[in-house]
Amino acid sequence: MAERRKLEIPEGVKVKVSQGEEYDFPVDVSPMHEGERIRKGDMYVELAGPKQPGFELVMALPAEDVEDMKVTLVGKDLDELEEGKAYPFAMIYYVAGEKIDNDLEPIIERRNHDFQNYIEGVMHLNQRYDIWIRVGKNAVEKGLKSLITVAKAVMLLFKNEMPFIEKVEAVYATDREFVEKMLKDVAIPIFEERDARVEALHDEDVEEFYSCTLCQSFAPSDVCIISPDRPSLCGAITWFDGRAAARVDPEGPNKPVPKGELIDSVGGEYSGVNEFAKTESGGVTERIKLHSFLECPHPSCGCFEVIGFYMPEVDGIGWIHRGYPEPAPNGLTFSTMAGQTGGGKQVVGFLGIGMSYFRSKKFIQADGGWYRVVWMPKELKQKVLKYIPEDMRDKIATEEDAKSIEELREFLKNVDHPVVKGVVRPVDGKKITEGWVEEREEVEEREEVREITQEEVQQTQMPFPEFQQLQQFQVPYMQSGPKIKLVIKNANITIDKIIVKRKEENKK
Amino acid sequence: MRWIVVVAVTGKGGTGKTVFAAMLIMYLHKKGSLLAVDADPDSNLPETLGVGKVEKTLGDIKELFQHTRDEIKGDKEVWFEAKVFEVINELDNFDLLVMGRPEGEGCYCYTNNLLRGILRKFMRHYDFVVVDCEAGLEHFSRKTIDRADCIIVVSDTSKKGLKTAKRISELMDELGIRAKKALVGNKITDKRARDIMMEFALRTGFEFLGALPYDEKLVECEMLGVSLKDLPECEFKREFNKVLKRFEQWCLGGSNA
Repeated sequence: MAERRKLEIPEGVKVKVSQGEEYDFPVDVSPMHEGERIRKGDMYVELAGPKQPGFELVMALPAEDVEDMKVTLVGKDLDELEEGKAYPFAMIYYVAGEKIDNDLEPIIERRNHDFQNYIEGVMHLNQRYDIWIRVGKNAVEKGLKSLITVAKAVMLLFKNEMPFIEKVEAVYATDREFVEKMLKDVAIPIFEERDARVEALHDEDVEEFYSCTLCQSFAPSDVCIISPDRPSLCGAITWFDGRAAARVDPEGPNKPVPKGELIDSVGGEYSGVNEFAKTESGGVTERIKLHSFLECPHPSCGCFEVIGFYMPEVDGIGWIHRGYPEPAPNGLTFSTMAGQTGGGKQVVGFLGIGMSYFRSKKFIQADGGWYRVVWMPKELKQKVLKYIPEDMRDKIATEEDAKSIEELREFLKNVDHPVVKGVVRPVDGKKITEGWVEEREEVEEREEVREITQEEVQQTQMPFPEFQQLQQFQVPYMQSGPKIKLVIKNANITIDKIIVKRKEENKK
Repeated sequence: MRWIVVVAVTGKGGTGKTVFAAMLIMYLHKKGSLLAVDADPDSNLPETLGVGKVEKTLGDIKELFQHTRDEIKGDKEVWFEAKVFEVINELDNFDLLVMGRPEGEGCYCYTNNLLRGILRKFMRHYDFVVVDCEAGLEHFSRKTIDRADCIIVVSDTSKKGLKTAKRISELMDELGIRAKKALVGNKITDKRARDIMMEFALRTGFEFLGALPYDEKLVECEMLGVSLKDLPECEFKREFNKVLKRFEQWCLGGSNA
């Protein structure tokens, strides 16, 4: 872990220190000033920004190390800077409090942006090492002479708006050498560590998930649940984004969803999520399993980047992305499937997801994860290749391997895909599918071969082990393609009625 | 005080709406801080203002966000806001934001939601925001611009033009835009045409601000790509000034903002 300790101030550099609270500010400090642009012509100086190095950083430290309301300025102060020029700039805050740990650092740091912008005549843009600050002439004319005043205003806001901050100390710097060295030695390692932690965060590590109802204008009953292991299906919103939005506006489109009791750890079912979904969807959705494809899947609003489709003929799952215009092996295009799946419904057999869900360690884990995936367009496969377990990379077909179910079956058999002999899901080692019937049967079985046409497939209930549990299932049918051959062995099938029709010639 | 003035065009394009918007901008910026918004992908407000071609548009930023949002570290809204600030052109007397290309495929719910918040905070700091908009009022229906104080429709006397003007009025009701609405006649060459415009305005609840003539000098100006700043004295300019007087009385209530 990157070390958290106070920065060493080098000797021989101009340093200014101020202790204690200040309440008398020459400029107005209020949220009213957020979004104010300081135009080039109205600018006194520019700090950090595109032309100069800079960063902002919040570090959690033990209480005894933090001197409350102390500001140390390393380098020249505002009134010593030349008008119209740009300078390096760093803002480091040490914070302490009983409830403060390293996870809170980025949340506190994010508010520096807001609070700087509260100050009349100060514009703060971007974050981390991309910060860009302008101090306006208007502020200087009103008497803003020192960066220490800016720091004091921000520190007061920190303590007022986030009462869990018990002590705060700041180091501001305009000295180039110091800014550059601290950026490289202190800030970057902390940012990198933070990003690594984001990747490593899982559903079980947090107390609440977030909802997203941004799409309710298109899909009124839709509820998106965003967890660390499941980003929104439009691909835009991660758990961290949800948390940030919920903090700013708890009644907005991203609300906190307490997890409640864990009902199914493999499928990812939580009592809190179910209750929330029921209320928010007006009763349309009662149960959601976050990491399940075939049972209580997450509803799909219509904004998904990728759609997954179950192919009963191979007992496997295919994925198709928005940009792929051709039909998938099931004969359907992205837009056809999207039309069936969208609208905030739970449609068993189809699932809309965001591209980044492929990255998730819990990616449809209840249904075998990657070991159940049989097909995706080459473009999509290339994009997510590094998330596919190595032993599966050659077993997932693309349009180059298979364009129809027949070809797909052939391919899967040749590469010995897990669906052929039965999928063992990695999450708990349970064998969840039996494999293809013909593959597991002994030779001396009664054999019944019939040829039926595609129209029939639609009307026939197909006897696959999983289906009996499903409330509804639409068997994807082929719109074109050759006649298919069904081989059924040693199966008990009860069918009320079978309609066999002659295939019409030249039918579109 | 702050005003969001929207200029929308109907009927045939050409010398009309964008010229009107540009001249309004050049007049209003003397009265306070001003943001000009080019919200019509088919128009050429920057050129008409004499700015030249604008390199980057908000549409580009939206696309960039759509495609890289997975890789953005830290807070996406802060990142997005910084990019929006980067595409705003600081001109000598006012700022210019070009909305640019329409949205591509995929879901823009989140993108537009962030943008709404950013633009709302940003626009409130100007005394005037002038939006050059197409008849579909796209950015208002998306609520990326969530407010308008007055909408000025520029139309010629063609049946199609007037029909579109009426449609804009209905659209305003549908979208719940509670703005004053005014009509400016364009390419009005005789009294009869002017009367048609006036009568139409009266019937449909538009304030009639006046009629602009078809002026060869203006056409020439456009053809040569000369900025309107250098538009010589002509009939168009004289009529425009009359429209402006009425606009001030009616919209700004004669105040000096």
